[in-house]
Amino acid sequence: MTSDFATPRRQHPLGMLVLAVKFTWKVIQSAWPALVGLSLADAQWYHLLGIPVILGLIGAFAVVYYLRFHFHVASDALIVERGLFQRERLQIPFERIQAVQLFQGPVQQLVGLTGLRVDTAGSSGSELELVAIRKQDAEGLQLLLRSQMASPESATADPLSGEAPPAAEMAPMVELSFADLMKVGLTQNHIKNAFIGFAVVMSLFQGFEDRLSLWLAGLPPLVLTVLGMATVLLIAPGLIMMAVVGVVTSLIGAALNFWKLKSAIGAEGVQLEMGLLRRNVFEVPFDKVHLTEWKSNWLRRKFGYETLRIRQAQAAGAGGLRVFIPAMEPRHRAAMEAAVYPDIAQGVLAEARPAGRLRWLLFAGAILPALAVLISPSISHAILGLCWGAFVFWTTGRRFAAYRMAVHSNAIVLESGWFWRSRTVLKMGQLQGVEWRRNALLERRGIGHLVFHTAAGARSFGYMHKEQGLRILDFAINQLHSASPSAPQPAA
Amino acid sequence: MDIPAASNPPLDLSGVPRLEDIAFHPVSDKYRQMRLAMWGAVQFFAAAAILTPFIIFKVTGEEELGAFAAWWWPLGIQCSIAGVWFAEEWLGFPRRGYAVRERDITYRTGWMFRTTTTVPFGMIQHSELSQGPVSRMLGLNHVKLFTAGGSGNLRIAGLAEEEAQTLRAVIEARTRR
Repeated sequence: MTSDFATPRRQHPLGMLVLAVKFTWKVIQSAWPALVGLSLADAQWYHLLGIPVILGLIGAFAVVYYLRFHFHVASDALIVERGLFQRERLQIPFERIQAVQLFQGPVQQLVGLTGLRVDTAGSSGSELELVAIRKQDAEGLQLLLRSQMASPESATADPLSGEAPPAAEMAPMVELSFADLMKVGLTQNHIKNAFIGFAVVMSLFQGFEDRLSLWLAGLPPLVLTVLGMATVLLIAPGLIMMAVVGVVTSLIGAALNFWKLKSAIGAEGVQLEMGLLRRNVFEVPFDKVHLTEWKSNWLRRKFGYETLRIRQAQAAGAGGLRVFIPAMEPRHRAAMEAAVYPDIAQGVLAEARPAGRLRWLLFAGAILPALAVLISPSISHAILGLCWGAFVFWTTGRRFAAYRMAVHSNAIVLESGWFWRSRTVLKMGQLQGVEWRRNALLERRGIGHLVFHTAAGARSFGYMHKEQGLRILDFAINQLHSASPSAPQPAA
Repeated sequence: MDIPAASNPPLDLSGVPRLEDIAFHPVSDKYRQMRLAMWGAVQFFAAAAILTPFIIFKVTGEEELGAFAAWWWPLGIQCSIAGVWFAEEWLGFPRRGYAVRERDITYRTGWMFRTTTTVPFGMIQHSELSQGPVSRMLGLNHVKLFTAGGSGNLRIAGLAEEEAQTLRAVIEARTRR
């Protein structure tokens, strides 16, 4: 069945349920500190009567919101009318759409509906969500919008006919099995995740802190002293627990985000589907990609994986859409870069490495903690300091050697990092500005930093020799101008 | 297997226009007065904030100055910050300037921290003239250029009224496609 998007229409009736759950969740999120406070205060049974009243209000709000929400596709824009008291008409021109994303939260999965999210590069808050439409409608709308946003003039389908153009041929890319998922989870940053895990646990138990201190105050002093001494014994188990919490949080996080990840690459873009509780389907057209970043740590490289982050234009103040694909293998990277940056295969036009001064700055920065031994000099501290110095000496050379910039005819590749390796690729034709930055001391030595401003944020390559840096800057500006179709002429 | 031969002619970079070769227009000299006045005002209020407790204690004849007895410490720190800032203003001001080429605009600023930023006209989303009460009194105007993503935004501050209008007109004309 083809769907008619030309006339204003509502979402699926079950959308009322989805909206009600969404609003309830929002209310709980914003009011939970008050709820915890209430539960600890002298709660009476009749306070519980408030719950159905609030739920009823939310339900009524959801119904009215549903009834007042209409969307349709016009000849050049997606149009949404919504609003309870204040009517709002959103008009999103096709060329402003950066990405169309389908998602299924737990409720949508339960009722078999799909949400659709449209990201634009406008000011923040301009993204738009339809929370409940049928899956084939969502896919049809996504296809329709995708064909329109790429090139409105050359689009074969008439948006008003409701006929979606055929999907382009897609070749499968990364597909995560359960074992792969575990590998991805195991190679995450566990220390960071341990803190996240503890923060979650702590925020859940925050409300019980008062009760705990009350209970402790009621204990006899002797027991309290013994308890206090016993905490020393908790250090080793605490460290082990920290490690366990870190790994478990990593695994849970990986499972939630990347469950049954499937991705495919076509001539015009990548497509991916992932997530457990909230299942997301992303479609990213290549011409809306402003940065690709490849990140990996030592362990992940041992599994032969890298994480790909695709960044699109960001709205002022907002982060912009970021798509993560973990477990990209070298062949996937080759396919991806061949599609997004075809000029990389044509070879490197210029290669730059930072000035030797950076080596000393890296060394000085890393050796600083060793100076702590001067606070209380002793043999063991001196040995520790020497070990650290040797380690820093050994790693600095590797870290320094990892900095590299490669200039192709349109792409610029920035590489850095030794343990945590990073590779950023951007197109000169999409640059928003180029900057040469240095302080007076560096200027005297003929060194500076080259900053590339893209619509997805700034990326820089530091401590370049001035002669080389300015030559690359001139080349980048030249390529940027030659990429634009015609020189903008001053109006008569 | 057929291997397609990639076209890969050597590039001649000598023809690429060089940013170093262009001359920069300075910004209005009144803007230097405005910045120096700003500097003076900040220094005055900072010094006043540091010295006030000391003066109050002296006047009221309290014996115990406590922590405020070491008033020269914060004052010394403030003076050195003021000195560096003044050097930045005094030496950096002549370096402020902009240059317009056919397809881009470049803005240069700073003595201690120097930046030279080039933004192509084709990437400018919109431009804005802004003027506070003090700049209105001095007849100054600031031109702001906005690019997608916001990291390449430029603010060319301290232009004379007509110059700012002209610059903006030039930018608007070249941004329009």
